[in-house]
Amino acid sequence: MIWILLLILAALAAAAFVGGRTLAQGRFRGVRAHSRPAQHGAYALIWVAAPALVVLMLAGIFAAPIERQLTAAGTPDAVAALEPFRREAFFADAHRLGRGEPALQIWERPLAEQLPVEARRMVRVERTLQWGAAVAAVLAAIMGGLFAFSQIRPNVRARNRVEGWIWGALFVCSAVAVLTTIGIIASLAFDAFRFFQHVPVTEFLFGTQWSPQIAIRADQVGSSGAFGAVPLFAGTLLIMLIAMLVAAPIGLLSAIYLSEYAGRTARAVIKPVLEILAGVPTVVYGFFAALTVGPALRVFFNEIGLFLIGGPLDGLGQYLALVQNQMALTAGAVMGIMLIPFVSSLSDDILNAVPQSLRDGSFAMGATKSETVKRVLLPAALPGIAGALLLAAVSRAIGETMIVTMAAGLAANLTFNPLDTVTTVTVQIVTLLTGDQEFNSAKTLSAFGLGLTLFLVTLMLNIVAQRIVQTYREQYD
Amino acid sequence: MGGQVLPEAAPAQTPDRPEPRMEDAEPAPGPTVVDTPPSGPIKIAARDVSVFYDGKQALYDVSLDIPDKTVTALIGPSGCGKSTFLRTMNRMNDTISGAKVTGRIAMDDEDINDRSIDPVLLRARVGMVFQRPNPFPKSIYENVAYGPKIHGLVSAKSEMDGVVESALKRAGLWEEVADRLQSSAMGLSGGQQQRLVIARAIAVNPEVILMDEPCSALDPIATARIEELIDELRERFCIVIVTHSMAQAARVSQRTAFFHMGRLVETGDTETIFQNPRERRTLDYITGRFG
Repeated sequence: MIWILLLILAALAAAAFVGGRTLAQGRFRGVRAHSRPAQHGAYALIWVAAPALVVLMLAGIFAAPIERQLTAAGTPDAVAALEPFRREAFFADAHRLGRGEPALQIWERPLAEQLPVEARRMVRVERTLQWGAAVAAVLAAIMGGLFAFSQIRPNVRARNRVEGWIWGALFVCSAVAVLTTIGIIASLAFDAFRFFQHVPVTEFLFGTQWSPQIAIRADQVGSSGAFGAVPLFAGTLLIMLIAMLVAAPIGLLSAIYLSEYAGRTARAVIKPVLEILAGVPTVVYGFFAALTVGPALRVFFNEIGLFLIGGPLDGLGQYLALVQNQMALTAGAVMGIMLIPFVSSLSDDILNAVPQSLRDGSFAMGATKSETVKRVLLPAALPGIAGALLLAAVSRAIGETMIVTMAAGLAANLTFNPLDTVTTVTVQIVTLLTGDQEFNSAKTLSAFGLGLTLFLVTLMLNIVAQRIVQTYREQYD
Repeated sequence: MGGQVLPEAAPAQTPDRPEPRMEDAEPAPGPTVVDTPPSGPIKIAARDVSVFYDGKQALYDVSLDIPDKTVTALIGPSGCGKSTFLRTMNRMNDTISGAKVTGRIAMDDEDINDRSIDPVLLRARVGMVFQRPNPFPKSIYENVAYGPKIHGLVSAKSEMDGVVESALKRAGLWEEVADRLQSSAMGLSGGQQQRLVIARAIAVNPEVILMDEPCSALDPIATARIEELIDELRERFCIVIVTHSMAQAARVSQRTAFFHMGRLVETGDTETIFQNPRERRTLDYITGRFG
């Protein structure tokens, strides 16, 4: 039905274009017209398509409430007497029946007889609405087309009007992204606000205890219901720092190799491989961290502990020998590996943006490659690289979820020991929002508080990074 | 000179037609030095130098003597190989992947392409100034101190101050920048930047300075300053300058070499080349009939 309608509208639009153009050609014969016939054709096409689409959109938005009104108006008493949720279920079944599907529930005596009647009535209402919408859309199209045809005069500026429509369409497209973002922030802020009605902001931001389980009974153990986010942000920071310690030097040095030292063949091989690495899904890095790196590091550090102390049970040895699979170091190191391609390709771009003339100048002074890199390229490129690191890598590291979920652990320890189990903001959001939720408890809502804080931190980092990159760019302009 | 026109030079009578790149259209190989030799001592002697980029030949068997304490101008239309030849003299072609240089270039009778010569050390002896001013995005002081620093020429800070000052003075820039040595070189004007780059080049006390169209990005006043400077520097250095401007070549150089289509066509004293060229192609080029 809808497809046929769209086809008809498309045909009308095409006809409007051809008709408008032909009409314009006829009317403009021997006259100096402002716009070319094809532009009048395009104008007619827009005036056919746009009103029809608006009508269809309005129909899409308002069809459901209108239909509900109409069906509610004629409900038999037996149905009207039902509780609201039962009534909804009844209508839903009537709908299904109308579409030729079996009902989901078995309805008792008076209702069972009403059901097919209601189904037929609903189908009728629906049909009427659909036909109404279709006719309205076609009418709107025709009226729009007639309006456009009436505008085919030599002095009408169809060219500018078409440009205006195109401007509008492009603006709407970019507005969608912006509005969506605003919507996301709004919903986040709304739920976060509800959370902060349960837990004061200061406790959330400065509390050092994170234990979102709320006791159901007074004597329950381990369910204190503390919402201090400091351990989570500390864990995030720790893992981010470890990741940057891995990714920044390796990525930067590999970028220097690629842009300054590598021959054509080496570059042709290494660059695509790095890009493949960038395309590996983070969940795969998660496996790698949880099943390979984690156990290896555990064995390694426990061996060191045994070697240093001679036994696992005394003093320092107890601590060292009890390293677990899940620790900040595992998550951070694997996240760092994940970030290497990003850091490398960003740094590569920035190094390539340094003019060749600076390299030539340095080489002509008798500088070696490494001297040129150290004294000319890096000083020129470092601010940009720092900005890029902050912009892309740090934001990614903070927002990264899968690796830390699988490799960092769940215990909210406030520690900066990389061998300890820590948890991050994103991990907590995942654990809080997976499974069945009740959206009125502080436990679930705390996820939104975390999300909003994380969002604000990342936003701030992005702004700072943009500034750095901008000041750096001005250097060569 | 005159009177030395060889019969082989006949194809040059149709200069507007692209010269066929065939061996038989060329003068017979061998010592083709029919030009007047330079009078002073020879600093750089190039023999049968050819350059290939990715197997494509850009320079054909160039043999040229470059005298010391003289300005030698390399002229010719775009793509004639004059810059390519210039870059063979400090082995800058080494930095381009796929570039290959054959033939012998001797500096003070020492083959600079010899394996025992380190291009990095060679470039400390042969400075280069580029088409567009390319100061490093550092302070004026750091720019001039760059060469002495990487070559370890000076150790004490006071000594470095002296080197920087004298280089800037010789480049005629000292008075303009003396009070802002620590500010960024990017804030200087184009002409000042180019003089700074010259100061940077002479700070390591090179023997030869190569200039690749050093004034093409400058206005006439800045150009005049650079030309004056080149004339002063001639007393201490061997200077080779690539230029597109006939007038500049006539003004600043004592020797001129005319390149066309990757070949050295003619070389001699600048006066002779401009007033009484031996080759028809040279005459056509300097009188502006092509190029």
